[in-house]
Amino acid sequence: MDIDISPLIENWQFILTGLGFTLALSALSIALGAAIGLVGGVLRTYGGKLLDSAIGLYVDVVRSIPVLAILVWTYFAFPLVIGESLTPFSGGVLALGVHLGAYITETIRAGLTSIRPGQMRAALALGMSRFEAIRTIILPQALIRMLPPLGSLIVIAVKDSAIASVIAVPELLRQSQVLAGKTFRPFEIYTAAMLIYFLICYPTARTIDRVYRRLGVLGAS
Amino acid sequence: MIAKRKTKSRPRIGSGTAPILSFEGVVKRYGPLEALAGVSFQVHRGEVVCLIGPSGSGKSTLLRCANALETIDGGRVVLEGVEVHDRRTDARKLRRRMGMVFQNFELFPHLTVLRNVAVGPTTVLGMPQRQAAERATELLRKVGLADKAAHYPASLSGGQQQRVAIARALAMQPDVMLFDEPTSALDPETIGEVLSVMKRLADEGMTMVVVTHEMDFAKRVGNWIVVFDHGKVVEQGPPQQVFDEPTVQRTRDFLSHLGWHGESLAAADLLVQPSSTDP
Repeated sequence: MDIDISPLIENWQFILTGLGFTLALSALSIALGAAIGLVGGVLRTYGGKLLDSAIGLYVDVVRSIPVLAILVWTYFAFPLVIGESLTPFSGGVLALGVHLGAYITETIRAGLTSIRPGQMRAALALGMSRFEAIRTIILPQALIRMLPPLGSLIVIAVKDSAIASVIAVPELLRQSQVLAGKTFRPFEIYTAAMLIYFLICYPTARTIDRVYRRLGVLGAS
Repeated sequence: MIAKRKTKSRPRIGSGTAPILSFEGVVKRYGPLEALAGVSFQVHRGEVVCLIGPSGSGKSTLLRCANALETIDGGRVVLEGVEVHDRRTDARKLRRRMGMVFQNFELFPHLTVLRNVAVGPTTVLGMPQRQAAERATELLRKVGLADKAAHYPASLSGGQQQRVAIARALAMQPDVMLFDEPTSALDPETIGEVLSVMKRLADEGMTMVVVTHEMDFAKRVGNWIVVFDHGKVVEQGPPQQVFDEPTVQRTRDFLSHLGWHGESLAAADLLVQPSSTDP
């Protein structure tokens, strides 16, 4: 098998555009997922029975459906509900963010419930409101404790952004498909795509791991 | 401020005036279990009231009822005319007036020692960071831990952590300090340093309610002893009476169970000789 990387070199801007979309899609869906997860996790833990059940339903529904199905539904079916079409990119951010949000919700809930009740008592005894106690005392510890699973979710979110290729978001995998079809060089191009994903995800995982090694002790009450 | 207390025969401080904190027939139930079955006693300003009795007799529960960390099922708790458990009472304002120290310290592990002490004033009172840090530094000096300000709680010994916890409670400048078995989770060699900080507080006139198994401390520093058993107060009175001439059999049983036979204390100051405070 002869290897010819010239299609990559000639089309580097095309690949770079894909990388840009992958990074943007990942970052925005992680931001959306984190926002949903933060609010969802806190409300599920401290918001009373009704909110707990409602958010629990969201979590269970999302976790029971393949992310690909959620993506396709969001892009092709959801516009019929709202009577407004979505761009592939915003559809991708929405679907991936809502999907990720369910997992982050559960992770943050697990972190919050793992903090022993004495910490809340100590915060309340100082005169803090429950909200102040959660914000300044409980949540920071929970986030530190949950750094390893949150890190996994972030890395998975970057990888899952590739799924958006099916709704034609011009992200890395989609651009690679197009290029491979045009140049008949699938080996070189898909290998390069894999390498690029690895070069994003591996340092991300290592960085989060290193941060946890430094901060982990601060979450141990 | 009250002058340094004499070791022997202290009169009940402020007994002629209205109590700062009073418990009137407090009832607390957990399902069928009656944790507090009508508890009444009073705390006067400047007084050290020690709650003693077997584990599970309701002492710690009562302390949590005092600052509304627990609801009550009967009776009332009154802090200077304010009904603690009244619906219209702002529990947060009330808790600012009562500092609490826990058996397991409950320092905030993600904050430095200085921030642990300063977080109450900054979060609750909205005090500027610098001013809160100054107050915290001063309090840490008072408990002998100014050099640990930048450390995290995990790197401190149990006794040091509990002294930080005392400073944290004091940072809110409370009227009353509540101590929930402050030395029960400590190594014997660090009990003394915590007790001496508490004794100094008492000497400065701080009003204190102390749940403790340290009978030497209760006898030497306490002005009023309340003996609990099965959610009831079986006896209360000045330490001389409770320790030397207990009128109730249950008190005698409890004290002899701890190896206390009413003899006077050894000449050594047990508060600075922690190893001899072991029962």
